[in-house]
Amino acid sequence: MSAEPQTDTVDMMLNMGPQHPATHGVFRMVLSIDGERIMGVRPHIGYLHRGSEKLSEHESYGQVITLFDRLDYVSNLNNELVFVRAAEELMGVEAPERAQYIRTILCELNRVASHLLFIGTYALDVGAMTPVMYTFRERERVQNLFEHVTGARMMHNYFRIGGLKEDVPGDFAERVLSVVRRLRAGVEETDRLLTFNEVYLARTRGVGVINAEDAISCGLTGPCLRGSGVAYDVRKAYPYEVYERLEFDVPVGEFGDCWDRYWVRLRECYESLRMVEQALEQTPEGPVMAPGRRIARPPKGEVYAHAENPRGDIGVFLVSDGTDKPYRVKVRPPSFCNLVGLERMMEGAYVADAVAILGSLDIVLGEVDR
Amino acid sequence: MSEEQRPPGEEAAAQSAQPAPRPHRGPPIETADETLSERGEATAKRLAAALGADAVAAGGRGETPWARVEVGALARVLRRCRDDDALRMDMLHYVERIELDYVLASVAHNRKAIIKVDLPADAPSAPTATRLWQAAAWYEREAHDLFGVAFEGNDDLAPLLLFEGFEGRPGLKSFPLHEYEEY
Amino acid sequence: MIEARDVLYIGAGLFALFNGLMVVTLSLVWLERKFLGRLQGRVGPTRVGPFGLLQAVADALKLLMKEDVSPGPAARVIFYAAPLLVFVPGFIVWLTIPFAQDMAVRNLELGIFFFIAFSVLSIVGLVLAGWSSASKYAVLGGFRSAAQLVSYEIPIIMTLLTVVIVAGTMNIAEVVEAQASVPYVALLPLAAVVFLLAGIAEVGRTPFDIYFAESEVVGGPFVEYSGAHWAVFFLAEYVSTFVIAALTALLFLGGWRWPFGADLPPAAGVALVLAKTYAVVLAIFWLRATYPRLRIDQLMSLGWKALIPLSFAAVIIAAAQRFYGWPTWSLTALSVIVLAVPAILQVRLQRRPAMERARRYARRAMAERAR
Repeated sequence: MSAEPQTDTVDMMLNMGPQHPATHGVFRMVLSIDGERIMGVRPHIGYLHRGSEKLSEHESYGQVITLFDRLDYVSNLNNELVFVRAAEELMGVEAPERAQYIRTILCELNRVASHLLFIGTYALDVGAMTPVMYTFRERERVQNLFEHVTGARMMHNYFRIGGLKEDVPGDFAERVLSVVRRLRAGVEETDRLLTFNEVYLARTRGVGVINAEDAISCGLTGPCLRGSGVAYDVRKAYPYEVYERLEFDVPVGEFGDCWDRYWVRLRECYESLRMVEQALEQTPEGPVMAPGRRIARPPKGEVYAHAENPRGDIGVFLVSDGTDKPYRVKVRPPSFCNLVGLERMMEGAYVADAVAILGSLDIVLGEVDR
Repeated sequence: MSEEQRPPGEEAAAQSAQPAPRPHRGPPIETADETLSERGEATAKRLAAALGADAVAAGGRGETPWARVEVGALARVLRRCRDDDALRMDMLHYVERIELDYVLASVAHNRKAIIKVDLPADAPSAPTATRLWQAAAWYEREAHDLFGVAFEGNDDLAPLLLFEGFEGRPGLKSFPLHEYEEY
Repeated sequence: MIEARDVLYIGAGLFALFNGLMVVTLSLVWLERKFLGRLQGRVGPTRVGPFGLLQAVADALKLLMKEDVSPGPAARVIFYAAPLLVFVPGFIVWLTIPFAQDMAVRNLELGIFFFIAFSVLSIVGLVLAGWSSASKYAVLGGFRSAAQLVSYEIPIIMTLLTVVIVAGTMNIAEVVEAQASVPYVALLPLAAVVFLLAGIAEVGRTPFDIYFAESEVVGGPFVEYSGAHWAVFFLAEYVSTFVIAALTALLFLGGWRWPFGADLPPAAGVALVLAKTYAVVLAIFWLRATYPRLRIDQLMSLGWKALIPLSFAAVIIAAAQRFYGWPTWSLTALSVIVLAVPAILQVRLQRRPAMERARRYARRAMAERAR
């Protein structure tokens, strides 16, 4: 018997995260790679699990709003909105029209800020360092406006069950208009730099493809689903607040690759700015808080409310037992659901694509882990 | 076990099979003032038609009707909801609680509905939905993680949000919030 | 025959060069931060010294004072030797790079050959650094660097060969003198473009910074280095960048010669070389601010399917022109024609489909709105 030297090639396990500059927080994925090819991926989450849902069962309704601020910490107002709306539906309260308009305006500005953050960090993921400076500069304008209106840059705690904490400052309209004007120019600047950049196209086109059927089955929502060519937007499908009265398009991609997801978000920025302008024109005068008790104590019952978050369809399942604390709060976090599609998108990708694909999902770990 | 620590949905389980129904502050679920919107009403009709006798109870609020089913019927009910042409619930929003709620949504028809099922609190177990919706994989892992629900047929129920080796089911009402010490 | 005086002279020259290059590196760091800042709508460093000029010095001091750690399972000797293996080849080529007529430490007859011979060596350092770090990211980065540097060495050599054919010499100073009337960038635009691109890839600057891609392999071969050893890598990167820029300035932009043969005093010549070099450096920084990073397979196909054939075409054009004695302008004409091919292909295969896709989406949105 000859002892032939046996050489075995095995796939290398590469652990990406939870400390890795491109995992946008404490996401971790274990890649098994053959050279530069990804043979398998296993995502691990939970590093930021704070038990927000459990915690909500021990806080009064007003306090839960602050927990929702901390779920998706780059689109706080959108999160507040969905919880507030769930509670309102349960209590049978409707916010005054003015409050609804202001909420819509702030949420859309928040969406632009969130998308700008995405565009910047995504460009950074694929190696371009300039867009992030441009988009952060623009996002700063929104943050300043929010600080002016709500008193906080991130954890606003501004929406209330039945309206708003307080009316907006007197110069709200003109400040919003000036911010919108500048944002539009800022988004255009980034658009010109990045969208048709040759290297950017090479890195994102045909990468991380997911077809519409799989996207729906995986529960993808928001820009990730629309990138695959499904025109599903909660704002159109189940209009809430004042979206029915605003005219806007839902940008839809076709191939479900990273570029399509980017493009959908980019166009959504323009659409959101359009909406803000329309909403600002229609905003009536009036109270911003529905009359009634200040302490929310919804009747027994349960409700499932959802809304279009910048990342997708955020849902809240709220069960009340008639006390001043929710019996059960369950969040359907869009980033969490979008992550389910990750394994499918990464089939046959390169290591560098792993970063591009993960970035294109635009996850926020605060929301994934709750 | 004090009143506040009762797991949700247990009351229904107590009604069916559990011996010695314990005192509790009443079911948090059934209420009188639930009203369906026009679209919700239409969805409820379709849902009732599709489920037939499998639906034990039904109700709803706003645009989202719900139907309660038995565990044994769950698998076929879910499949029917997905494949029935009038419903075509192609997206699963989440799986939840010991009273499991399957919030279904149809992208094709823009409709939502909830399928409810009660599981015994001591050994909750349900058939998996991963073969119908890929999205179910993580919801089921999460439900297993936080509430200890076993999903038959889902062989990947590794901890998702908790770390491996975590003791207890922190989602349950019986799990203390403040008294728990991590180290 | 090497004499003691020569050794002394070269030693002193290298010492002076080393110090000069330190200053150059500091200036490059400052320039890069300031320039990128301006491009990105920022101001760059302002705090340390006037215009933040001392920022780079402060950074260097900070790096030197940092604790120097190495991973437990690292192969210690190789781990600490690797930075030098990267730095020395980048530095030693300065031996023969002239700043003006007769202003080189040693004006070698085979100067260009000397550069080619030494610049390849830094691959060894990078691979060893990656391997000895005992980190998967470092290994991945090390192998990426090996693949990248080996591939891009070929276009560099071929384009240099083009220059040699046209100039008829390997002495860099003589190449510059040969450009007394027309800089070679006008005669050999193809070779100049390929050389600059391949050179940027060789020193691993964006869009070719694949092997230490921050967002993928987190610094690649350098991931485990800290303090002074990391600083040496950093130094090597800037020195190599400056080499590529200087060679571009000398071999293609006419070095110390003003176009159309005006004679300049030596001091003005040095200033001109430096000005041209810094201009090229700024162009490299500009690319960095504009482009994302390529993927490894795209980098390889750019190297093997575009730059290498183009560099061979450049050699063939130059050789044919010399052999058949075609007029000089034919060099330019043929180069431009060959250069146009990939540009057109790029637009047709990459940019246009994306534009069309975007237009189609926009049309659909309009139709949706009308409905």
